[in-house]
Amino acid sequence: MTRRIIAVSSGMSEPSSTRLLADRLARESATALGGAELGGAENSSAETRTVELRGHAHAIADAMLTGFPSGALRGVVDDVAAADGLILVTPTFTASYSGLIKAFIDILDPDALQGKPVILGATGGTERHSLMIDHAMRPLMAYLRAMPVPTGVYAASTDWGAAGLDERIGRAAAELAAMVAGGPVQQPVRDGFADPVPFEELLNG
Amino acid sequence: MQFGIFTVGDVTADPTTGRTPTEHERIRATVAIAKKAEEVGLDVFATGEHHNPPFVPSSPTTTLAYIAASTERIMLSTSTTLITTNDPVKIAEDYATLQHLAGGRVDLMLGRGNQGMVYPWFGQDIRQGIPLAVENYNLLHRLWREDVVDWKGRFRTPLQGFTSTPRPLDGVPPFVWHGSIRSPEIAEQAAYYGDGFFHNHIFWPPEHTRRMVELYRRRYEHYGHGAADQAVVGLGGQVYMAKNSQDAVREFRPYFDNAPVYGGGPSLEDFSEQTPLTGGSPQQVIDRTLGFRDYVGDYQRQMFLVDHAGLPLKTVLEQLDMLGEQVVPVLRKEFDALRPAHVPEAPTHASLVAARDAAAGSADQKAGVPA
Repeated sequence: MTRRIIAVSSGMSEPSSTRLLADRLARESATALGGAELGGAENSSAETRTVELRGHAHAIADAMLTGFPSGALRGVVDDVAAADGLILVTPTFTASYSGLIKAFIDILDPDALQGKPVILGATGGTERHSLMIDHAMRPLMAYLRAMPVPTGVYAASTDWGAAGLDERIGRAAAELAAMVAGGPVQQPVRDGFADPVPFEELLNG
Repeated sequence: MQFGIFTVGDVTADPTTGRTPTEHERIRATVAIAKKAEEVGLDVFATGEHHNPPFVPSSPTTTLAYIAASTERIMLSTSTTLITTNDPVKIAEDYATLQHLAGGRVDLMLGRGNQGMVYPWFGQDIRQGIPLAVENYNLLHRLWREDVVDWKGRFRTPLQGFTSTPRPLDGVPPFVWHGSIRSPEIAEQAAYYGDGFFHNHIFWPPEHTRRMVELYRRRYEHYGHGAADQAVVGLGGQVYMAKNSQDAVREFRPYFDNAPVYGGGPSLEDFSEQTPLTGGSPQQVIDRTLGFRDYVGDYQRQMFLVDHAGLPLKTVLEQLDMLGEQVVPVLRKEFDALRPAHVPEAPTHASLVAARDAAAGSADQKAGVPA
């Protein structure tokens, strides 16, 4: 069975450490699921896609104003909703996640992340913000009824030259793989178009 | 096929002059626009209903009655009548009265309203939007069809031995369209009663319209009102025309860029590609509009939004000239030629009376009563 992992990065620069962290989390998660990346080995059991929100920034603002995602953003929104596992990585901006990743999450259907295993990752200039994942990102996931893995992965600039980041990435990936392999936690949401609530039920509800 | 215009009734500054019309000017302009719509040969004029600035149409039946008295032929409708925050008893009374005054030239479109703060002003809660729409319409439907109603529900005080007056003209209630952009429950509601379904078809990509209409048609057949392709479908649309498409885009751009609903968002070009908005020559509007049929099937009513976002009255009247002279006659001919014989026209008061009499006649025949 092929599992789909999508990593969403709201890094700003090119290249960005946020994208780098997202890629590493995605690769390790795929490996942990015993698979390889998209286009890899024939028997791969995980395919991954990494999306950089920067390229969709205008479309995200448009979607906030029009109420619908258009163009390539539509595909990203659909892929996130359909993914078996999600990796969200943001830079730390003024003690929280970036506005861009929040705006992206705001345009998703409210139940798009329900029951979905998620790795939360963040980058920052200093280790002093490392609890941002737990103080800012986790409550957001709780509201959306997503299932963040216990290990959040925070990478300060100094972490890229220090021991420990690899280990945290591996642990988060293993946790995600275990949750994804465990199968869906949530009942699928009813499709009101394929399976409408009969009117008598609406009337007597 | 019916063609018409629908207005939101917004009071918006003209971005090219900075001038905002007064409420008085906007109300008088609405009447002028409706009269012009009749003059250029359109079939329907519909007004919105809002209860907060910057909108003026808080009292649609007052405006429509005045228009009825100033016109002879055009059908008067709404876009939309708030079935959630209005008392269904008052809707029954107001629109039956309007029906008498307008000689049957009345139908209405029901909608829920999407502004959270308006609901509490009328003692309601937007989170109950769907249940309110379902219960209120069920009562409205009965008030127009049963002379004496005993009723009890969740949202309104009960009725014992209540008769809504006046009774509908000729005993036939106004035809009702149910409007919704993306709530399957409302398509289901329209299908259940065999009423019309209207999709605003302005703000969102055609895919949403297609999905809603498909559901409505499927369920219309399920509830035994006819085949799916005989269900009664209306669509919105918005256009801005000039002889040359470049002029249309240039003239419309400042209004689009500053429009309350999408200003500051996508470019005019992107939005035109993503939604049915068409700024172009009359021929481009014809081609685009004919294409709507590809994803909703043969439908009965096409409404255009032409008077929003601060467009001055003079421009709106010019748009109506182009619509009436160059666009609608072609669309009417083309759509009618494409529509199979078993697909009905939109109901009118006369057709509803005839259908009622025919049904009564066949029932009499079955019972052996001579006609």
